[in-house]
Amino acid sequence: MQQQQAEAAGGAAVYGFLTAVDSPHHGLFGGYLVVDGLGRPLEFHCTAPVKVTRAQQILYGPTLHGHLHGQQIGGALLAESKATPAVVLTDHEAMLSVRQHTKLPVALVKPLVGEAATGFVVGASHVTPHASDAADAGAIRERLAALAGAVELGEPFERIRAAIEEAQRH
Amino acid sequence: MTPNPANGVRSIRHDDLVIAADVRPWGNPTLPRPPALRLPVAGRTPTLVRIDPGFSRPRVASYHFTPPVAALPPAAPRTARPTIAVDESAGSVSPAPTAGRTRIAPPRDVVKLSEKFFYLLQPDLQTMLHAGRLEFPRKPFPFQLDGMAFLVPRHSAVLADEMGLGKSMQAISSIRLLVRSGEARRVLVVCPKGLVSNWARELADWAPELVVAVIEGDQLRRRWQWSLADVPVKLANYEVLVRDRDLVAQLGLSFDLVVLDEAQRIKNRWSQTNQAVRGLDRRRSWALTGTPIENSADDLVGIFEFVDPGHLNERMTPRALGAAVSDQILRRTKDKVLKDMPPRLNRDERIELGPEQRETYRRAEEEGVLRLSGMGDEATIQHVFELVLRLKQICNFDTATGESAKLDCLQAELEEVQASGRKALVFSQWVETLGRLEISLARFGALQYHGGMSTAARDEAIRRFRQEKRHSVLLLSYGAGAVGLNLQFAQYVFLFDRWWNPAVEDQAINRAHRIGAAGAVTVTRFLSAETIEERIDEVLRRKRDLSEAILSQAGEPAATGLTADELFALFRLAAPRAGGRAAAA
Repeated sequence: MQQQQAEAAGGAAVYGFLTAVDSPHHGLFGGYLVVDGLGRPLEFHCTAPVKVTRAQQILYGPTLHGHLHGQQIGGALLAESKATPAVVLTDHEAMLSVRQHTKLPVALVKPLVGEAATGFVVGASHVTPHASDAADAGAIRERLAALAGAVELGEPFERIRAAIEEAQRH
Repeated sequence: MTPNPANGVRSIRHDDLVIAADVRPWGNPTLPRPPALRLPVAGRTPTLVRIDPGFSRPRVASYHFTPPVAALPPAAPRTARPTIAVDESAGSVSPAPTAGRTRIAPPRDVVKLSEKFFYLLQPDLQTMLHAGRLEFPRKPFPFQLDGMAFLVPRHSAVLADEMGLGKSMQAISSIRLLVRSGEARRVLVVCPKGLVSNWARELADWAPELVVAVIEGDQLRRRWQWSLADVPVKLANYEVLVRDRDLVAQLGLSFDLVVLDEAQRIKNRWSQTNQAVRGLDRRRSWALTGTPIENSADDLVGIFEFVDPGHLNERMTPRALGAAVSDQILRRTKDKVLKDMPPRLNRDERIELGPEQRETYRRAEEEGVLRLSGMGDEATIQHVFELVLRLKQICNFDTATGESAKLDCLQAELEEVQASGRKALVFSQWVETLGRLEISLARFGALQYHGGMSTAARDEAIRRFRQEKRHSVLLLSYGAGAVGLNLQFAQYVFLFDRWWNPAVEDQAINRAHRIGAAGAVTVTRFLSAETIEERIDEVLRRKRDLSEAILSQAGEPAATGLTADELFALFRLAAPRAGGRAAAA
């Protein structure tokens, strides 16, 4: 993994948090926050709002969200980042498809509610790696456990949302 | 349709559309292929509508933050005290906090979006404390975490919580966060001389990993202490700072943060103390005070000359002042944030002077007023002030006979205090009165605490009062005992005489009525009936609302201090000329 190379070279592990915020007035904003092992911000990227036309809704049909979140927004955000996170976490299911446009492992984070069929539990969160990263689930879990000692995995998404709200007011 | 019999082609013409059909009869043996239909199209190409289902790549704005360089290694877990922040059991990593997040909001003067993002994207306070393994000896109240979230991002801040809400703890924890994150490497805390030991204790308690240098001793020693480069926190008293201001400048010292405790000490802009703190080279300026406005709005202007120079001026109305400082001052009161705190019971004990004491008082007042009247325009504030002080002293002890109605009352009250195993604080403005009380109250194990004692003697008095059961009473002067002391184990407070300023009285009372108070605190204010004390009390009542009027922007204050007019009016005299300046603090 790239992250293993980075750590071998002396770099400390960093983590990516990717989400989208739907604003009824502006459209869909994407936000990507990279934090260090203590949860402190290193990079933040956000998109201008993307509006979906009726024609796009009709023509993309059920593939719309995966394309929009994964390729258009997620892909654009990850392309701007200079960091190589140990894992990119998202709380947005449609964002998982960003995995097709990056070499980084991607996983879905949800609050821990009952038992889940797939994935694993870290702290108060349930984590489901993208199908392409299923084989690396053990390594991802190990890395996230270190982060979860400092940061609750759902918490950085709140920061991204607060920043995007501020950007809309600005 | 036009038939052409020669070739069997029939044409259909309809405006632009020409359709030609080659029609031949079926079964004609001369023709090897079936008949064909030819439709020649003429005219303009039909309009083509293209729908591009793709998206244009969204524009991305990027922000990069410099990773903080930790100034200190993570704090070692406490061993002597129970901890609340980290569960180190079995060596496992405890999970990050999930509830009760206190976020650091950007100060209002931050305009650039990138700077706002810097604050908004920081972890919440609980996460920062947890990640840095910063433990507390006692669990902070949520409002204290809010106070830290207020201080940490601000370069100019006044924490003006009511006395007893833990301003020093909030400041120390905020210092700790800044030092840990590498944002502060050189911090200076300045406090009144009598509170240096208290601050040193609090720093050791709330930030045990921080090395602290107390600036004290002779000049050579102080020079060495000021010069220490690898000590993150230096602690000095105001007098030392005034004395060493040239030395500090000469050494070229600069500070990432300067914290002033009991910042009302710098309310006078022209004082040496104010000038000395303003002369410090610093990036952040925090002031801690429970009474940012003691007498007039000018007090706040004086404090802000340090906190944010030029931000306020004395021509601003109270309403404008309130608006200007609303993002830089945080003030909470006990009744708002500590719903469960034991109550404070106030009693005004109206005391009738005995016949001899009454007669001494009457004579002194008559003579004094006659003398003032006879002086006419020559009478000054100082003359009135001297008369007031003389009369107040007689209210405490008859100067002729030594009789004291207040002492009789106090002794009766202390019997009860001692019998119930409680402890009491007694405040007076005169050290001489404290001395007389110590003798009279020897059977209660009375101890003194005032500015005439050495720091070591004062610390020893506090230790004995705290630890030894036989000492039921601590006698304190307002000057030395009203600020900074934590005496929450005392449940009775007696104001033997009244100070000029209600804020100072509140500070005195809050030595006992503060966080950690075990039960209700009973405050007894002695007032000698039909004396100058009652008249002063009326003036104090009028002043009491001034501070809140500005801090809450609730309206114009009615009075601005004990003025010369008010002072003369105590004796129904008119101020000679140009009265109006604040006369007593």
